[in-house]
Amino acid sequence: MLITVHAKALPNAIGADPVIISIKAITGLQFDQVRFTVKPGATVKIVLTNSDDMSHNLLITQPGAREAVVDAALKLGDQGPKVGYVPDMPEVLWSIPLLDPGENQSITFTAPTKEGVYPYVCTYPGHGFVMFGAMYVTNNDKMPPLKDDLNIPSVRRNEGQGGNGGHAGHTGPAHPYEETPPFLYRTFIEDAGPAAIAVRLTDNLSYCWDAGSCRLRYAWQGDFLDMSVLWRGHKQAVAKVLGTVFYRDKSEYPLRVGRPGMIPDVQFKGYRLVERYPEFHYLINGIEVYELIKPNADGTGLLRTFRIPDANQSIWFVSGSDDGITYTSSTGNWTGNAVKIDPADAKQFTITMTKKEGGLL
Amino acid sequence: MRFLFIGVIVSILISSSCTNDKQGASTAETSYIIDSIGLPEGLSGEVGAIEFLPDGRLAAAFLRGELMLYNPKTKDWKVFAEGLQEPLGMLVISESEFIVMQRPELTRIKDTDGDGHADLYETVTDEFGISGNYHEFNYGPIKDKEGNLVIGLNSASSGGGILEEVRGELDTITMNHKGQMFSPVPYRGWIMKLTPEGKLLPYASGFRSPNGLGFDDAGNLFVTENQGDWVATSALYHVQEGNFYGHPSGLIWKKSWNGEDPLMLPVEKLDSIRTKAAVLFPHGIIANSPTQPLVDNTGGKFGPFTGQLLVGEMNSERIVRVMLEEVDGALQGACTFFINGKGLRKGNNRLAFAPDGSLWVGQAEHGWAGAKGIQRIVFTGKQPMDLLDMNLTAKGFDLAFTQSLNAESAKNASNYKFRRYHYEYHKKYGSDQMEVKDIPVTDIKVSKDGKKVSLELESLEPGFVYELTLGGIQSEKGEPLENNLVCYTLNRLKPND
Repeated sequence: MLITVHAKALPNAIGADPVIISIKAITGLQFDQVRFTVKPGATVKIVLTNSDDMSHNLLITQPGAREAVVDAALKLGDQGPKVGYVPDMPEVLWSIPLLDPGENQSITFTAPTKEGVYPYVCTYPGHGFVMFGAMYVTNNDKMPPLKDDLNIPSVRRNEGQGGNGGHAGHTGPAHPYEETPPFLYRTFIEDAGPAAIAVRLTDNLSYCWDAGSCRLRYAWQGDFLDMSVLWRGHKQAVAKVLGTVFYRDKSEYPLRVGRPGMIPDVQFKGYRLVERYPEFHYLINGIEVYELIKPNADGTGLLRTFRIPDANQSIWFVSGSDDGITYTSSTGNWTGNAVKIDPADAKQFTITMTKKEGGLL
Repeated sequence: MRFLFIGVIVSILISSSCTNDKQGASTAETSYIIDSIGLPEGLSGEVGAIEFLPDGRLAAAFLRGELMLYNPKTKDWKVFAEGLQEPLGMLVISESEFIVMQRPELTRIKDTDGDGHADLYETVTDEFGISGNYHEFNYGPIKDKEGNLVIGLNSASSGGGILEEVRGELDTITMNHKGQMFSPVPYRGWIMKLTPEGKLLPYASGFRSPNGLGFDDAGNLFVTENQGDWVATSALYHVQEGNFYGHPSGLIWKKSWNGEDPLMLPVEKLDSIRTKAAVLFPHGIIANSPTQPLVDNTGGKFGPFTGQLLVGEMNSERIVRVMLEEVDGALQGACTFFINGKGLRKGNNRLAFAPDGSLWVGQAEHGWAGAKGIQRIVFTGKQPMDLLDMNLTAKGFDLAFTQSLNAESAKNASNYKFRRYHYEYHKKYGSDQMEVKDIPVTDIKVSKDGKKVSLELESLEPGFVYELTLGGIQSEKGEPLENNLVCYTLNRLKPND
């Protein structure tokens, strides 16, 4: 996030309209803004809003004094709360006191006349090592490229950067092994319930299966997921799909037992890896179902193999309509969007889903 | 796959930097050595769980979803399972079977074909709600003597929202209170018990962020809590069935609850129904973010603290030690440092004893103050010069030490400085120390063997933390104390005999 604030008023006029800098303390022990520029001598108003669930303050220090101030705040020990963890030392130029979650407060001051990088930091114990930013007092609005800026937290230097290995937003390997499809992530993911499974089938094909509702939710082509915010932690986030979704299940529920109109109760039992592909195991109305999803021959669609070993009634597979997908079944007779599978054939059948020409959602 | 081994050995030199003690023991001798375990290249070493296998290998779960096995002899790491969502606890069943607490489910993970890699992931239970709020961490499982599993469900944070689709019944009455953790789905903010038959039952309520569950040798259940709204300072609770421990939001899932918003109840009412912490960890003094309590069951392999609880601390380079006793029918006690600095990193999230009696520590940060990696603490056999135990008496405290004390230093009243204070139970985040007061020591008696000091205080009042700073007390051999600060949570006075 690169935010440059230009002084609108004449920079040297004391009492001039202040440059207003709004900074939020956000989850993950971070300020939402990690740097900004002001002109020497400008009147600056910093508005701090605490949108986190913990207490935070904001101290502006002399250039290079951030760590010393953080250390001094820590050394306050049990005297810290009384002074809001603001140590009494000349290196602290200005401060906004400790704010509870949801509070906001501002401070107005005249920026130093000397150009330089003036750190701002939260000195609540434990926060100061990661929760800081930089006020650039500069005549020419110059800041280094974000990725090279050592005055901001390291986790913030890669923001807006491209992906690697199907993931975006972080550098270096994601795991101590190469990720070779198929593989899966349990994760919060967009457009699904909170118990979701994202499966990478090929280098270009992925799907989301929902372990809460026991169903395939959607499939996409392209890169896999941006996990960067989730992996950093301490922040509301979902994994972002990095490709184009070509299928979403628009049916009420894809499987029916006995009566085609009745939506079954479901229960998630887990999955087994079969040649590394997950075969999901769940119950529909108490009947065991196993579902294994593989890519089709040319990698543009899905082969869904269902096993219902104890089926003693007819099983229906129901697709959504107008979902851009052509469905074929290894067995059974189609009526509209539904195919009826005899109990004997339900022991194993395959639904093939291929994208219709131009069928993109 | 390529692994990188760091193999850093950080030795601790006692009294080299923090004292000027000239007659002190040899500086080369130390009671505990801390070293760091090399992690494979590419692994983000944020530890959610560590346990040992019967064959002596370490199992470690990492927050990006790997379950890895480490052979301490060969220093080899192997991937056992991957793709887990924020695993924060595990139970080892065998070398090929684990029960792992991840976000969406408690999952049994097995290698059924013997290739050393998990192939079967079975749901043990998913009978609890998840809203998708980032703070709904799940902890445990730990197993009690009857074979029940105990898990902990974190409350949701007002720093984040919920997903459009949730799992479980949705009740938003506790949402949208400024700065208050909430419980949008059952049983957020509860400790749960899973019976051997697979029934998940609500066990105790009132938890904000219970990132640490453990049993002591007697089977008492302990849960740590992090300072925040309704949690004046971090704490250790002795958790018993049906009790409420202070954070109101989860009360809406209580069977008999009448539907009103528990966050709107008068604080006096909530205070009257809550069970207080067995031990308070004064904020900024002992711990700011305590994690797993682990009983020292090494029978002396790890030093003199057998039976006591060691508690990880995320926020500083520290492991805390807890000394408990039963007073008037309830457990209460004291906390002090076990390791404070000395090469230990921050982020001490998970603890496990290896079969050889060394303590392994897994670290995490996950957007909070912390660190990554695994360290090992080894007892050298040299007895530390430390406080061994602290017990309430009718008029003060008995202090037991690991070594005989130098009589002169033990009898010097200026070596015992007591303050007492309490914390206020309220919805605000944390609490200041209230009614802080120095309490003079009026009498000092030292036992014949020089290992016990009985102190009488000018006054003792229940409801206060008694914080004792020990001055220049030395052993007979002239060794200084390893740790000088201890805080006793005085909930109850000794009953009159």
